[in-house]
Amino acid sequence: MKKRFFGVLMSLVLIVGMFTGCAGSGSKSAADQLDQQGVADIPVNNDQKTPAGAAAEGTNSADLSERVDLVFYVMGDAPKDEELVEATLNEKLIEKCNATVDMQFSTWTEFQQKYANEITSQGADLIYIANWLNYGLLASQGAFVELDDMLNTVAPELKAMVGENMLNMCKVDGKTYAVPNTWAEYVSNGLKYREDLRVKYNLPVPDSLENLEAYLAGIKANDPSQGLLTVTTEESQGFKTAFDAAWVLNFKYPWVNANGLDYGLTANYDTPSDVYDYWFSTDFEDDMKMLKRWADQGFWSKSALSDTNNSDAYKNGLCVAEVAGQNPNKQITAIADFTNAGEGWQSAYIAYGEKHNVIYPGHATQNGTAIVRGCKNPERALLVLQALLCDDEINSIMQYGIKGVHYTVENGIYKNLQEEKGETVTFPYEGFNTWNLRNGATKLPQATDVELQKMFDKYAEIGAKTKFPNVNIYDGFSENYESYSAERSAVSNVMRQYLAPLEAGLVDDVDAAIAEFRTKVKEAGLDKCREEYKKQWLDYCNEYNYK
Amino acid sequence: MKNKPQAAPTAIKKSAGTKVFNGISYVLLAFGAIVCVLPFIIIVSGSFTDNVTILKQGYSLFPRDFTLEAYRTIFRSPKDIIQAYKMNVYYTVVGTSIGLTMIALTGYVISRQEFKYRNTVSFLIYFTSIFGGGMIPWYLMYANVLNLKGHTLAIWFPALMSPFLVILMRTFIVGAVPNAITESAKIDGAGHFTIFFRIVLPVLKAGLATVGLFLALGYWNDWYRSSMFSTNSSTWQLQFYLYDLLNATTAMKQMASNVSMKTADLPTESVKLAMAVVATGPVLLFYPFVQRFFVSGITVGAVKG
Repeated sequence: MKKRFFGVLMSLVLIVGMFTGCAGSGSKSAADQLDQQGVADIPVNNDQKTPAGAAAEGTNSADLSERVDLVFYVMGDAPKDEELVEATLNEKLIEKCNATVDMQFSTWTEFQQKYANEITSQGADLIYIANWLNYGLLASQGAFVELDDMLNTVAPELKAMVGENMLNMCKVDGKTYAVPNTWAEYVSNGLKYREDLRVKYNLPVPDSLENLEAYLAGIKANDPSQGLLTVTTEESQGFKTAFDAAWVLNFKYPWVNANGLDYGLTANYDTPSDVYDYWFSTDFEDDMKMLKRWADQGFWSKSALSDTNNSDAYKNGLCVAEVAGQNPNKQITAIADFTNAGEGWQSAYIAYGEKHNVIYPGHATQNGTAIVRGCKNPERALLVLQALLCDDEINSIMQYGIKGVHYTVENGIYKNLQEEKGETVTFPYEGFNTWNLRNGATKLPQATDVELQKMFDKYAEIGAKTKFPNVNIYDGFSENYESYSAERSAVSNVMRQYLAPLEAGLVDDVDAAIAEFRTKVKEAGLDKCREEYKKQWLDYCNEYNYK
Repeated sequence: MKNKPQAAPTAIKKSAGTKVFNGISYVLLAFGAIVCVLPFIIIVSGSFTDNVTILKQGYSLFPRDFTLEAYRTIFRSPKDIIQAYKMNVYYTVVGTSIGLTMIALTGYVISRQEFKYRNTVSFLIYFTSIFGGGMIPWYLMYANVLNLKGHTLAIWFPALMSPFLVILMRTFIVGAVPNAITESAKIDGAGHFTIFFRIVLPVLKAGLATVGLFLALGYWNDWYRSSMFSTNSSTWQLQFYLYDLLNATTAMKQMASNVSMKTADLPTESVKLAMAVVATGPVLLFYPFVQRFFVSGITVGAVKG
């Protein structure tokens, strides 16, 4: 019996041995691969010596003799024709840089976690970066390859096109880790409202707090059954506001960013390094009283604090204005929705900054591309990135698909062929979700973009007259809250519990509620958060000379 | 227990107690059933309701403004959903059959008293249910060490065995096959394979059905591994296909506050509900057939485990 058992055990040992043997040979083969690369390097060097002028396409030192397969990680879902477009794209890329790109998509499920995984596992070579994906923090932790030297040696064309100014905005601790897109985009928050109702009831244009109040009250007086605002807490999850209605206060203040800075601190756009207190000011008290007055007039639901955001409310006529998280692009969508609905509704848009002439385009780190540390061929990756952004033909395949199959250009405007024929769209506009590869000079406008561009032109004009002409000074800042994360989450809880009802005007005694909020938020450790945050913000202002 | 014979005359009282107990449990169970069934009825009713009506008036138990529009939308281009269905069936069948085999064999081995290290092995299996490496090491293991990212293996392989199911299976085997029987079989010259296939397996139906159902439901309802490891939407699990559809809608709406992007063509409320019905349908049909084993399996597990 025992002998048999040992027999089994021995055979097990043998099997295990076989597996480990396999693993051993596996690692050997990896080493072999390295050797092969080493071997391959030698003829490459020879190649370089002989036709030194051959690689004259702005690529002085890069050797292209060996094909490199890169993985490009982007956000969102893949288009249906991913493989077809990739194949076409790679044909061109092999020609130009002897490299291929395999697009990989995060999908929208748990994308934050997966994005972090992707960087930890170093599975990708090129990766989409954005400030909302914590670019600054990741870069300072060493997630990406430094590009400063390589931009000079490998991709001078790219560097010239993007420009020193934009690249500087992507600097973290003095080093460039990302290449931004070059399309100036205005995401100026503002107010979207029903212009047709305003005309119908002869109400003022809601371009200030007083006029907005008159507009809403006027509609209520004329049509009591009409819903006015569907505000919730969903667009106010950060450390600036706790309830969406508070966004209207941007009409009152020329703050550095919509809703000011975090933790109830704020600064004006013209003096960003002059940080002052908002939550403990008399302005705050006045504002909360105003919001209470609005709530009492029934501008929003009594259950607004627990409602979930119904983003189709405006589209379906359930509200007459939207105040939080709006931008020019959403206005364009609303125009299209109203046209489709065919009820003669009209949507108009006012950016909050128009009132105080504080308008600026999106920050460079809003849409950019970085090379993940651990990438085996960073130079080739940068070369590919240069081709993707600067080469017109490659860029348009990447952004719009195959001309004649997916799209065509009419009068300089992009037109989706499949949508036209009523077929399933297999590659939509910017189908790879590569907002980071928008080339401002060559980006094809969609039919709806004509209207958008008009808005942008207006904003660009206002933006040019500001103290920092067309520079977004806020969004390059990234907070590092490691040392006070406990206090920070305590403050977040207090904001949700005490600030949200205040801003929603759902308290009986505003003064008492303000006093309670102030004590609670102090107890939660507000001072520590503020102190650290302010220090970091001032350092940031200092670094970029935003005085 | 000692008082039992004497307590016999009080049987009437007891039955009154039993009645009360039964009454209470029926009420509780009915309440539980309503809590479980109501949301599903609302989903089904919502899937037959016009989208604008849902937005304006909210959900209801019976469809108002009855329409099949949502289902028409789904089946207008049914390719994706059919592909997701196919993959889900594939993962469920492959995962459940391989997993069941491995679990049954493991359960048999650690149920044998003559296996000297069975306590050590049981402990090692049990240990993993208390201490895990965490999500990131788990991800790195499959993505970087085993290089399974983008491979369908990564979707069914990680869930083949779980400590709970192995221990459950062992309990079933110990309960179903007394040691004396295997011992006598051994005296008659049977080896482990003969014992396992000719003696243990035939009486293990309830155990196989229970563990099989656990595995199959786990595979059918999983979305996480697709989310982590799929690089191609044609390998997606059904639940992930649906879940991602929802997430895409919310994420894109949120994103649109920061970035210029298209938000049109997102599914409406009623389409989402219809998708949920389409996805859960087969499980509902399949469930009654195994349920009989499932219930007996649970009770056996409860008494012996």
